[in-house]
Amino acid sequence: MSYAFDTTDIVLSVVKIAVVLLALLNVVPIMVWVERRGSALIQDRPGPNRVGPFGLLQSFADALKFILKEDIIPAGAHKWIYTLAPTFGLLPALTTIAVVPWGRKFFIEEREFLGRTLFEGGRWFEPVIVNVNVGILIVFALASLGVYGIVAAGWASNNKYSMFGAIRASAQMISYELALTLAAVSVLLAAGSLRLTDVVWQQSGTFRLFDTIPIPAWNAFSPAMWIAFVVFVVAGFAETNRLPFDFAEAEAELVAGYHTEYSSMKFALFFMAEYMAMTTMSALIVTLFLGGWDIPWYNEPPTFLGFILSVAAFVAKVALLLFVFVWVRWTIPRLKYDILMRLGWKVFLPLAFLNIVIVAAFIAMRWL
Amino acid sequence: MLEFIVFFFFAAVAIVFALVVILHRNPVVGALSLVASFFALAVMYVLLDAPFLAALQVIVYAGAIMVLFLFVIMLLNLQHVAEPNTRPVQQFLGYFASATFAAGLVYYVSKYAVLHALPPTRFSTSAQAIGERLFEAYIFPFEMVSILLLAAIVGALMLSGKAAVAIR
Repeated sequence: MSYAFDTTDIVLSVVKIAVVLLALLNVVPIMVWVERRGSALIQDRPGPNRVGPFGLLQSFADALKFILKEDIIPAGAHKWIYTLAPTFGLLPALTTIAVVPWGRKFFIEEREFLGRTLFEGGRWFEPVIVNVNVGILIVFALASLGVYGIVAAGWASNNKYSMFGAIRASAQMISYELALTLAAVSVLLAAGSLRLTDVVWQQSGTFRLFDTIPIPAWNAFSPAMWIAFVVFVVAGFAETNRLPFDFAEAEAELVAGYHTEYSSMKFALFFMAEYMAMTTMSALIVTLFLGGWDIPWYNEPPTFLGFILSVAAFVAKVALLLFVFVWVRWTIPRLKYDILMRLGWKVFLPLAFLNIVIVAAFIAMRWL
Repeated sequence: MLEFIVFFFFAAVAIVFALVVILHRNPVVGALSLVASFFALAVMYVLLDAPFLAALQVIVYAGAIMVLFLFVIMLLNLQHVAEPNTRPVQQFLGYFASATFAAGLVYYVSKYAVLHALPPTRFSTSAQAIGERLFEAYIFPFEMVSILLLAAIVGALMLSGKAAVAIR
């Protein structure tokens, strides 16, 4: 495999990785605050409002508390796997975001800086860490490893409730992964590429349905793909183990499910993994169905300004979806487990298949 | 240089975890080690400029099949009791066959292995190229495999259906 890169490329890559990683890590305290205040708003109570203005510093207090708690390893636990399990969960959540584009590419002009020529001849800046031609498959490959954190934690804890959580999680995630992947296949058929930047480009611009007002050409609004959008969002909730599909934890039945025995920073890592997985899933929904960084009815210029605007649009969309995650959690009660499995296999999987056929028909008729 | 470091690191990871799979007594540790080994193998595909195969390797083996394995192992809740050695002859034959196979493998690999870069071959590993080969040149074996899988599913349904009826 041959690589052609120079120092500028390496520096740009490192900057991209640092920016994305820091953004992802900072989402966690913000989302914890949004979740707690949001649940309070929905349940008509004040919520945390003592630490800092609007309780904004509550997350930092929580983090401090996690660090100061005793780190317990149960006597019957499998020590190695018990210790490693939280990182199994965190790794996919941290790495998946690497292939998701988060802005419009723009051209950097050659410039002089401290007597040195930077960006010789100018170059395109692509705001995605790795722009591989199988981007979406990398996402699914890493996302499919997310279940091991839960399974390993549940098994290694040597606790009945943890074990039940782990078994439920593995069955649930296998079932919904199929619907999730097949829903994405519709989008890939329409885009004709596995590269996520291509998927976003295909959604920029507008289309007119029956010669009326121009609608953004996002896949979610496409008459061919809205079913896939619904399936993908629901399966996304199941994949991230969020209510109404949080059977791995299910406080009412399983104490705290797979992380019953965990305390201190190990528990905090599971907590972080959950919110990062949510963020990644939101970014993925935005990229595949909601136009990625595309601003509706606006053609972003290939300049720094266009880049900043597109990044802002991407962040706004992801933030909106993250709020939907919180909103749904505190609105819809948990399903029964058999209903979850029946829904996954008998409703969402056939719907995803149906949508693939519809998209294929649209392509055959040259409507897409 | 970088490629060599990555290659030897992940080759070592793959081999060490593969050894853990066969030597460790605990089936859950074995299954998790196999996942790590598969993952290291996927890195080899990336080094061979075949990211599509790498992704499929992780999705299919590490992400789907091993989760099912783990699921079944956990459901069965295997107790690791040391089994008495009841078949010494078979055990000897097993060791002998594996040793012969390993020796043959080492011999042929050392004989034919190349430590220099191969000339660039016209061989594409993109999703499109693989899809075209599968659905044009190899369409018959491809469909045969899918029928085999279908037969396995129907068989499993038959067995579980009969068992469920018998219990009732």
